[in-house]
Amino acid sequence: MTGTEKKYAGLNPIPPEFAKAQPPLALVVEDDCIGCDRCIPLCFFNAIVMIDKPEHKYKRVAVVDPDNCTACGLCFEACPTDAFVWVPDYSNGRHVPRNKTDLEDRDL
Amino acid sequence: MSTKDAARLHTSFIGFDLKSPLIVASGTASHDVKQVQIAEEKGFGAVVLKTVCSEKYDHMRYWPRPRYKLLDWDKQIGGRSKQFTLYSYEQGYSGTLDDYWEFISVSKAKAKIPIVGSAFADVPEDWVDLARRIEQSGADAVELDISSPHRPGSLGFQETFVAAIKSVVEAVSIPVLVKLAPGSDVLGESIVAEQCGAAAVTLCNRLRGIDVDIESQRPILHGSYAGVGGPWTKYYNFRHVAEAAGSLKIPISASGGVMTAEDAIKYVLLGANTVQILSVIMVNGWDTAAQINSGILSYLERKGLNSLEDIRGKALRQLTPPDKIVRWSGEPKKGPRNDWD
Repeated sequence: MTGTEKKYAGLNPIPPEFAKAQPPLALVVEDDCIGCDRCIPLCFFNAIVMIDKPEHKYKRVAVVDPDNCTACGLCFEACPTDAFVWVPDYSNGRHVPRNKTDLEDRDL
Repeated sequence: MSTKDAARLHTSFIGFDLKSPLIVASGTASHDVKQVQIAEEKGFGAVVLKTVCSEKYDHMRYWPRPRYKLLDWDKQIGGRSKQFTLYSYEQGYSGTLDDYWEFISVSKAKAKIPIVGSAFADVPEDWVDLARRIEQSGADAVELDISSPHRPGSLGFQETFVAAIKSVVEAVSIPVLVKLAPGSDVLGESIVAEQCGAAAVTLCNRLRGIDVDIESQRPILHGSYAGVGGPWTKYYNFRHVAEAAGSLKIPISASGGVMTAEDAIKYVLLGANTVQILSVIMVNGWDTAAQINSGILSYLERKGLNSLEDIRGKALRQLTPPDKIVRWSGEPKKGPRNDWD
């Protein structure tokens, strides 16, 4: 299989190398985003929002909210242009609310 | 929803009056208080909380990243794939044990629907400890997740889990559900669970599976076995529910592969009392519950029925034993595919 016909289009089947030392976090490469809205419903943690960006080719782009992103990997599957990449989460996962104990205030 | 419709969806299950036969299965969609509230609002009858693991399996609450992969997911049609696999490396509840007790009590305070705690351990003492704490925290029932796809392979049903079910049933006064995995002897294990005093069985858990990347020649994600499930699992589970329903007196909570109201109705026709869903909530959203509930209602309307109880096990009673199937002898036929003499 070649080109776009990859078996694992999107999320690489193996986590990024840096994931051994640093927790990964999803990030949208804005130039690759086509504003198609596919990732929004598939993100179970409401961590992706569309924002208006007049200078962008499609006038709007998806942005990952690191506070809600649990780095589960589902958005990679939604994206038809493979615009998601892993970046190191330098907060070391601290700001991921799902691991906190404040049951009252946590966001999904 | 009209009062008539509400009454039609009404389901009795292990002593509870559920407003719908739909239950959120243990997993990502039952991992915190807000989700329990959403589940109630969206029309679920009950919630089985994410499984908590004993201290010994503390590592299970730390999830690797990423922890999911959707296999065979057609991204070009935006997730309307009819067949896919949610390949998951998410294991236990991610908080501490104390968080879990608080999670149960706050959920109970904030929602009216029954809350079922879920636990995993190995030795009976740990099982009893978790189950007691779940009861004390206010849960309405406890589900023993003895079949988690992430459990250590060394723990066998006969050696480990029979004792666990027995001791938990003795130790707590709330109903005990036993969750089994699809496999060669679901019926036998269900019967043992019933004999041990389980109030219901949940059929079935996800399967332990694995996929390989042929480029790097390694197992995908984190290199270990993962939990696999998806719409395709329903055909195994229909069978397990049918077999169990034919032999058990305790109710069955069916689970696995439900995407639509039709799937849920099929489980009921095969003898299930309630239907648990999870993967479909994750990929299609919380509104799935309303879609399934209204699908069930329109089916009942079309068939002139008052409740699912009227058709429960109806297909099961139509099951034909192999020796009663009408068969015909293989008389010779003409045509290219029969041309062997």
